[in-house]
Amino acid sequence: MFRRFWLPLLLGVLASPLRGQDTLVDRLRIRADSLLRTWQQAVTIANLADSLERERATSGRDTIAVGALRIITNPSPLPLRQAAALAWPAIESLYGSAAADLAERPYLIRAADPDSSARRVVLHVGVEVPWDLDLRATTMLLLTTVPVAPPDRPLGEWLTGGLRPAIHPREDRTAVYLELVTAPSQATRGCFLGDIARCIDALGLGDTAHLLERWYPSAAERRAIVSQSFADFFNHGDNVQPFRECVAGRDTSCTALLRSLPPGALPKPLTEAARVSLVRDALRLGGRDAYRRLLRDPETAIGDRLAQAAGVGVDSLVAGWRNAALAARPAPVALPWWAIGVAVGWVTVFAGCGLSSSRWRA
Amino acid sequence: MARLRVWIAGAVGGCALIALAYLPPRGGAARGPRFATHSPEPTAARRRAQAIADEWRETDASLHLLEDRQHVKRDSSRVGPTIIFRGSAPSPAGVRTVEAVADTMWRGLGLGETKVRAVLVIALEHAPGAIEGPTPDQNRVAFLTPDSTDRTTCIAFLPANNFWTAVLLGHAPRHMEPQWLERWLQSGLGPCAFYAAYGTPGRSVRSWLAARNWDVALYLGTHGIAGERFSSLNLLGDSRYSWYWDGVYSFPPATVACLAGRSDGCRSAVLEGADDDARIAVPEIVRLEQGWWRKQRLLPGERFLADVARDVGRDRFQTFWTSPLPVDTALAAALRQPVGEWTERWERRFIQPIRLGAASPLGATLLALLLATLAVSAVALTASRRQVR
Repeated sequence: MFRRFWLPLLLGVLASPLRGQDTLVDRLRIRADSLLRTWQQAVTIANLADSLERERATSGRDTIAVGALRIITNPSPLPLRQAAALAWPAIESLYGSAAADLAERPYLIRAADPDSSARRVVLHVGVEVPWDLDLRATTMLLLTTVPVAPPDRPLGEWLTGGLRPAIHPREDRTAVYLELVTAPSQATRGCFLGDIARCIDALGLGDTAHLLERWYPSAAERRAIVSQSFADFFNHGDNVQPFRECVAGRDTSCTALLRSLPPGALPKPLTEAARVSLVRDALRLGGRDAYRRLLRDPETAIGDRLAQAAGVGVDSLVAGWRNAALAARPAPVALPWWAIGVAVGWVTVFAGCGLSSSRWRA
Repeated sequence: MARLRVWIAGAVGGCALIALAYLPPRGGAARGPRFATHSPEPTAARRRAQAIADEWRETDASLHLLEDRQHVKRDSSRVGPTIIFRGSAPSPAGVRTVEAVADTMWRGLGLGETKVRAVLVIALEHAPGAIEGPTPDQNRVAFLTPDSTDRTTCIAFLPANNFWTAVLLGHAPRHMEPQWLERWLQSGLGPCAFYAAYGTPGRSVRSWLAARNWDVALYLGTHGIAGERFSSLNLLGDSRYSWYWDGVYSFPPATVACLAGRSDGCRSAVLEGADDDARIAVPEIVRLEQGWWRKQRLLPGERFLADVARDVGRDRFQTFWTSPLPVDTALAAALRQPVGEWTERWERRFIQPIRLGAASPLGATLLALLLATLAVSAVALTASRRQVR
């Protein structure tokens, strides 16, 4: 009788912590479900509030339409219409037929008095800018904030950012030329000398295996990267010894250190500017639907996507990009013939002054 | 009288010169940034929805950890931590690879069959729109430590970001090095590695660790003091730049003092939380915030106890770990020296003592000395020529 009574009780006591955990799990589950329902309601309300804010931001405002650009703004001296007229050709030439979608994605710009100390209404939609921006600054504002949908993740990661119309196309290409000439990478140098396969490597469009050896094949380049770009990063802990060996010229240490870098941390021989200029070239070659073709299949390799967008093979695309970069070589400084005479004259004047000084007389 | 006028004129002239040098010009147009744009802020309703989503994520993560603890089964064919995948599942071959790497990592830590078993829950990224509700938290590592309801299981939640999700699903980039996966798995074990290696800590140690969110026991490591490739100290950057000092001075005073080589500061930094009799929650879920390294009390604190363990040996560390004594006494006994002094020497393995306080540039110091010498000389000369009539 005694045993029959105590055994279930004992088992019950032993199992009580497990029951307690069950209770806690149940409690958490109920709470999670409740929070999920509350969140769904809150999201509905937030969507409504955002919609009302958007309505409030657009009602009673002027709408400026230039091409497919729509700019909703308050009355102000900001030269938005003129700026849009300047910006639209650049935007349309980049995005082609996809630029027509911008009619559904207006700019929302609130021009504010830059000198007023009055408390402003909190901005929930769009951007606020001072109304004393000049035409050039306003155009740049429109070009740098095109309300286009962001690119898919693979393209965004390859570009390291977004794609915007070129503001200074000539200077952008010149910057690429300077990279080709000065980047401490044999891949880049090979590209500069006309090896298109090297260009494809340097742009990260080809095989991504053994990137270190492809981008920086020589020991001197690897040592330069470790000792210049990663000196502070590697000069710690048990990296100190291999770091010193690398700086002293031991290539295996340099290679081991660079291989230990996290994914994507190896410096690219050609920067984002070069990649963006290549995409712009592809879109220019591909015509009005090039941007849509570029975004069509995010799973495809970037090189193939660019080729599809451009309508030419990736080799031809890259070759054209390289030729355009070489053509944008910065003009060497040209001295007029009389400048040499002026320089020699000044040297003579100063030398004469120095030699005729009393301190040098006997 | 005439000499007095000269002195007054000189003083006024000096003031004018100083004013000319230091006061900003008036009347000029300020050159502000070209775009003084203001970005939009979310509406109050949107902020509320985001706050509820955060709360849901926390509750959901806790719920999953507890459910995983209830349902996990030990795989007796392996020595390493039990691995559970959440979200998309890798292929059987992928799972075997991860388990093999985890076993290797486990043995590398000197662990085998342990009393407290570690379970590593790896959460892979969901495809967009694949789940109902807010996007689950894919950034914060969390740990469920053993408690009275289950004294032998420690669960580590390791979210896989875009890169690791691709790797685990068999789309590893070709440039991936083999040791990266091992390091990633090891970094995800956190306090569970300590539980597996040394068992459940004594009350005072556990209370101390709970009070500081286990920030000194996040990484068991394998290579000894100053022997890992990377620590949170590296994230401060280079002392030549101002952001390094912004980072340094964002830490508590004791942490900064320890970086400067002051053993009192090191002692305070290590023992912070040791005096509090923190209540240990049941279940105890340790969550690491994003950017946890910016809020450390000791740099690089994540490896502090691992280095202590390696320095003093297993037996002495075990005594400290399970000691009923207050933390400062138990730790000093294990180290056989004052905590501050040992920590100050430990800190030196990672960083040279930083200089605190104002440091005038060499040029300014020399100029000040020159001016002082001139002033004293002028006064001395005047005094030596002074005649009393």
